[in-house]
Amino acid sequence: MSFPKNLTSVGKKILMGLTGLALIGFLCAHLAGNLLVFIGPGTFNEYSHKLTANPLIYVAELGLLAIFLGHLATGIALTLRNRAARPTPYHVKRSAGHTTRKSLASATMIVSGAIVLVFVPLHLWTFKFGKSYGAEGGVRDLYRLVMEVFSSPGYVLWYLVAMVFVGFHLWHGFSSAFQSLGAEHPRWDPLLRSFGWFLSVLIAGGFIAVPVVIFFAGGKL
Amino acid sequence: MAKMTLNLVVWRQADANAAGRMVEYVVRDASPDMSFLEMLDVLNEDLIKRGEEPIAFDSDCREGICGSCGVVIDGVPHGPEPGTTVCQLHLRHFRDGETVAVEPWRAASFPVQKDLVVDRSALDRIMAAGGYVSFNAGGAPDGNAVPISKSKADAAFDVAACIGCGACVAACKNASAALFTAAKISHLALLPQGAAEREQRVLRMVAQHDKEGFGACSNEGECQAVCPKEISIAAIARMHREVMHATVCSR
Amino acid sequence: MQGLGDGYFVIPYTLGHYLAADKLEPVTTDHEAFAEAEDVAVGRLRKLLAVKGEKTVMQLHQELGKVMWDNVGMARDEASLTAALERIPKIRDEFWQNIRVPGTAAGVNKSLESAGRLADYLELAELIARDALQRAESCGCHFRLESQTPDGEALRDDENYSHVAAWEVTAAGTFELHKEPLAFENVKLAQRSYK
Repeated sequence: MSFPKNLTSVGKKILMGLTGLALIGFLCAHLAGNLLVFIGPGTFNEYSHKLTANPLIYVAELGLLAIFLGHLATGIALTLRNRAARPTPYHVKRSAGHTTRKSLASATMIVSGAIVLVFVPLHLWTFKFGKSYGAEGGVRDLYRLVMEVFSSPGYVLWYLVAMVFVGFHLWHGFSSAFQSLGAEHPRWDPLLRSFGWFLSVLIAGGFIAVPVVIFFAGGKL
Repeated sequence: MAKMTLNLVVWRQADANAAGRMVEYVVRDASPDMSFLEMLDVLNEDLIKRGEEPIAFDSDCREGICGSCGVVIDGVPHGPEPGTTVCQLHLRHFRDGETVAVEPWRAASFPVQKDLVVDRSALDRIMAAGGYVSFNAGGAPDGNAVPISKSKADAAFDVAACIGCGACVAACKNASAALFTAAKISHLALLPQGAAEREQRVLRMVAQHDKEGFGACSNEGECQAVCPKEISIAAIARMHREVMHATVCSR
Repeated sequence: MQGLGDGYFVIPYTLGHYLAADKLEPVTTDHEAFAEAEDVAVGRLRKLLAVKGEKTVMQLHQELGKVMWDNVGMARDEASLTAALERIPKIRDEFWQNIRVPGTAAGVNKSLESAGRLADYLELAELIARDALQRAESCGCHFRLESQTPDGEALRDDENYSHVAAWEVTAAGTFELHKEPLAFENVKLAQRSYK
């Protein structure tokens, strides 16, 4: 764990940007896979089986874990350093307005990040390490588990809340990653920020769609 | 012109080791044409005549170019007018009878020395770590003897405008000096005279910035919003590119 | 003009260049010259704080600034300069007898800093006026109303004033003039036209 620690503040931000974009890439791929649930149990279960039966899945998961932990550890280290940099608070402090890019999202990254940190192990516990129903041909019936889980209003509400936080986190994170990686240009900046907002809504909305649609369809699609 | 009254709530602190507190003052019969610092001068004259300790604050040129002055007015470094220092702020931007909070720059790296005066030598030490060229660049050359594109010259000029006031640090939620450090690095990175020492400059200055205890940049841009010279966070992106280049390419 | 009113001057490049170019050997505070300088400085600070008079530094600074602004500005004449030379020593005397500097010398004290600068300027301001009175010609920025060309440009008197006036301060308010003659060998003195 000394590697992230020895980086300068700039190095740490570059690492946050790289890991952040990699995680956004992962989310896009994961969302695409999840949306297959709307096609039907056959397609969904076959996709899940092909993904997890491939021996390269271990490499991918290890890589993903390293990226996730790197993002998390560096984020915490940065937050601790940042808090220590202003030990005495102002009596009055306001946003300067004008050309600021401060937003509710940017001001709460550690909070939305913490929600994701709580969400991920619960999510893995529920699905990857959850009940394994059998299906034809020795393929796990993940479809059945998904339908069961999202019939419970508690789970659906929790996923809804968690995905809203993910959306906020991405809303600032996407454009912030490009700035951290030095990718700044007056022509592309506004496009990048609009696209970031659009992507956040798409990803959060896409993930929310699955539990909400299943719930209101009575657990049967 | 009608006179106005201002209710100030000012941070008073006897010295670096003393506890401080916010103290209320009423300034009456102020002219709306007065600058904020003139108003503090008038208040101080009154305090001295009454045998009280005047409010200590930094100022020098009183025209927005030296970088000495700097207080946080109602939570915004240099006050409500964009692109100006507090010495360029006039009372006509306040309402008659308004209550205004006045605080020093707050950062672990800017210890308060007295009242509104803070020690900003951390910025000087960042400069000493590399914000210069270490050779005699000689006199002004003939025009176009060294070709520089206008866009580069303009960009260098924009960041060279940094007066080192520290408002960026004061505004930043992380008390980061990224905008300052980036402006100083970028200015020389864009010009041919800075090319020879470009890699070691950025690495040393960033290392010094961290050593001083400034926080990291969260890309919120409060700094560019309060900068009296309106320096853009594009400079910070440039600094990050310089760090990447130096890390990979320096020998 | 800000410099004139404030006593605010810019150090020339030459000093910075000298300090940067020369290899300066480290010194310690054991040196006797330091002890002497420290005594003078502390003595002066104590003196400024001890007066405890009625006028603030800013009040006297503004009085001096007004005299300079009105009498030693861009256009001067014998009358205005003589009047300045009569006023400045009086302001200086009042400074040392009636100044009020609050606080102590123990930490940051902006009033004490200003008082020190004003004390210096009260000496320099008189010298500026003295030198302007002595140089009874117009030259560069120094424009004596009595010395103008028919169309209102600066009229020099090269015969009497081709020298640098270097003033030696022998005591406060006492100056001795040393003339350093200017001999122009390759350049011919001429009248510049701004038209």
